[in-house]
Amino acid sequence: MTSMRLQRMPLAPPRVAFALRVLSVVLAILTAALVLWGSGHNPLALGAKVISSTFGSSFGLEDLSLLFSPLIYCGLSVAVALRIGAWNIGAEGQFNFGALCATGVALFVSGPVWVILPLMGVAGMIGGALWILVPTLARAYADVSELITTLLMNFVAMLLVYWLATGPWLDPSGMALATTSRLPVSVPAFWGIVHWGLPIAILIAIALSLFVTYTRWGYEVRIAGANPGAARYAGMPVRTQLIGIMLLSGALAGLGGMMEVAGTVGRLQGGISNNYGYIGIMVAVLARAAPIGVLATAFFMAVLLNGGIVLQSQGLTTHTVLAVTGLILLYAAIGDEAAHYKILRTKAKDG
Amino acid sequence: MDILAGLIQTAFLAGGVLALAALGEVLAERVGVVNLGVEGLIALGAMSAVVTVVSTGSPWLGLGVALLVGLLSGMVFATATVVVRANQILCGLALTYIGTGMAATIGKPFSGTPVPETFSPLHIPVLSDLPFFGRALFSHNILIYVIFLILPLALHYMMFYTRHGLNMRAVGENPAAADAAGIPVMKMRFWYTSLGAALASGAGGYLTLTFVPSWSEGVVAGRGWIAVALVIFAGFRPINAVLAGLLFGFVTGLGFVGQARNWPVAASILSMLPYLGTMALMILPVVTWQRMRRLMAAPDGITAPYFRDQR
Repeated sequence: MTSMRLQRMPLAPPRVAFALRVLSVVLAILTAALVLWGSGHNPLALGAKVISSTFGSSFGLEDLSLLFSPLIYCGLSVAVALRIGAWNIGAEGQFNFGALCATGVALFVSGPVWVILPLMGVAGMIGGALWILVPTLARAYADVSELITTLLMNFVAMLLVYWLATGPWLDPSGMALATTSRLPVSVPAFWGIVHWGLPIAILIAIALSLFVTYTRWGYEVRIAGANPGAARYAGMPVRTQLIGIMLLSGALAGLGGMMEVAGTVGRLQGGISNNYGYIGIMVAVLARAAPIGVLATAFFMAVLLNGGIVLQSQGLTTHTVLAVTGLILLYAAIGDEAAHYKILRTKAKDG
Repeated sequence: MDILAGLIQTAFLAGGVLALAALGEVLAERVGVVNLGVEGLIALGAMSAVVTVVSTGSPWLGLGVALLVGLLSGMVFATATVVVRANQILCGLALTYIGTGMAATIGKPFSGTPVPETFSPLHIPVLSDLPFFGRALFSHNILIYVIFLILPLALHYMMFYTRHGLNMRAVGENPAAADAAGIPVMKMRFWYTSLGAALASGAGGYLTLTFVPSWSEGVVAGRGWIAVALVIFAGFRPINAVLAGLLFGFVTGLGFVGQARNWPVAASILSMLPYLGTMALMILPVVTWQRMRRLMAAPDGITAPYFRDQR
């Protein structure tokens, strides 16, 4: 007689965890397909439409790349913070504020493009870092959960962008209702409409990956995240690391905002971040906070987001993608826990 | 005086959403489960209430459906976090995404449709006709009295003056000890988390059936997150939670007054007040009020899943 029972292990084997991640994505898409089917759509036809209009033409691929790039910035932003155990739920706000600061530079500073563009990038990064500064200091010095404070700042940033774009910075030509005038400089494109924001994002991901894997800094951050007490005991500057990492996290999202406003959209307007910050959380979690993994998961989420945009004519909204994202997250969280278990076969003694 | 009475009236009306959602979150967090899905639950409740009332015309039915939708979503969330013991933060974010996304998708055809029948203010003889207090305190719909009077007092009594409430708090503080004392930890966590979710979703129903009587994608506008923050500020106590909700209703009302009276501040700047106020409330007390910290501390076992065999 053999009987089976479950045993929970303190650490999940990486291979099992990875397999369950993939499974959770498949299950979420199946669930979504089932719901679509139940509401009178043909999920196979919709899926085929998404695939063909995304990968079937260079236009589709260009659109996809324009979604891919901001998701890398936001995903990296959330991922670096996660490495030290901090939840940056405010990438959305830092993205918005970074875009706002970069726009300010573009509109009010004149000079040659090769000066203005880097200046805008710096302004975006500083803006993003500024936007996470208060939550960072509150977490570092008063232990206030950064989870909610970073999130609340999102709404403030959104309102600020909306106010500037409809008020003081409104396009003076009178042609637009809710945007600034077209920025005088833009990030140059290298392929169709795809601008240099994408390759720069990929380079940053690779650089970050090397830093977190091979430097003392990356090691200390990982230890400070896994066990702050032990890290402090070992003499690591945990608080300084935390502040540095969180500001870096904000700066990455802010740079993403700068690239979006100066490369993709060309002007500052309300809703410039298409939930990128929130989907970035998903990108980072699915990638288990590994910068290189972010590239893969950001690509996947870009396909999903693009699918939502393609299907808008079918009565779906981009919010439908958010719901599917949530499903993946839910299944992934369950899968993470399930990965801790192994099945034990024990021979029951006769007697 | 008239402005102040109107302001207090609006404070109750606007604060009701936050107060009810915060009450629900107090229940969940007291048994040791952080539910970050409040934002999504409010969206689901708000949308389902509108859809129900548009097709049946009964606000009571609308509220009932909102509560039921919340209870069912809460049971899914509790299955993931309490039974399977998956990460509460991830599951909460997931619930926010799913709720917000589903509400926007299903509610799209109803976007902008005014709710035909809402909860209208009750006229209480004598009291409603009082000069100042009549308008400020006694011209509300029935839900206001439930949210600000009946529920918090009942929950306070239950949590701090009954054996069951002691058990409930024990589950949140130290599940292992509670388990050893024979308290059904899992059952408590499961049902109070689900019930809390029902209240959050009910808050959404309240929102679209009284305060903003129509559905639109942005109608929730971060209220769920503010509610989660208020619970921390309120020290996980029901009466404090509704008072904090009222305070934020007041801040929201201030924004309305500013708009109506043409203050030289843009409407979107005034709309920032609740978020900035919440930030201030989360940070300032911790910095300035060190002694309160222990008194208002979170339950010890919060966010930690409980494994009986790993005590």
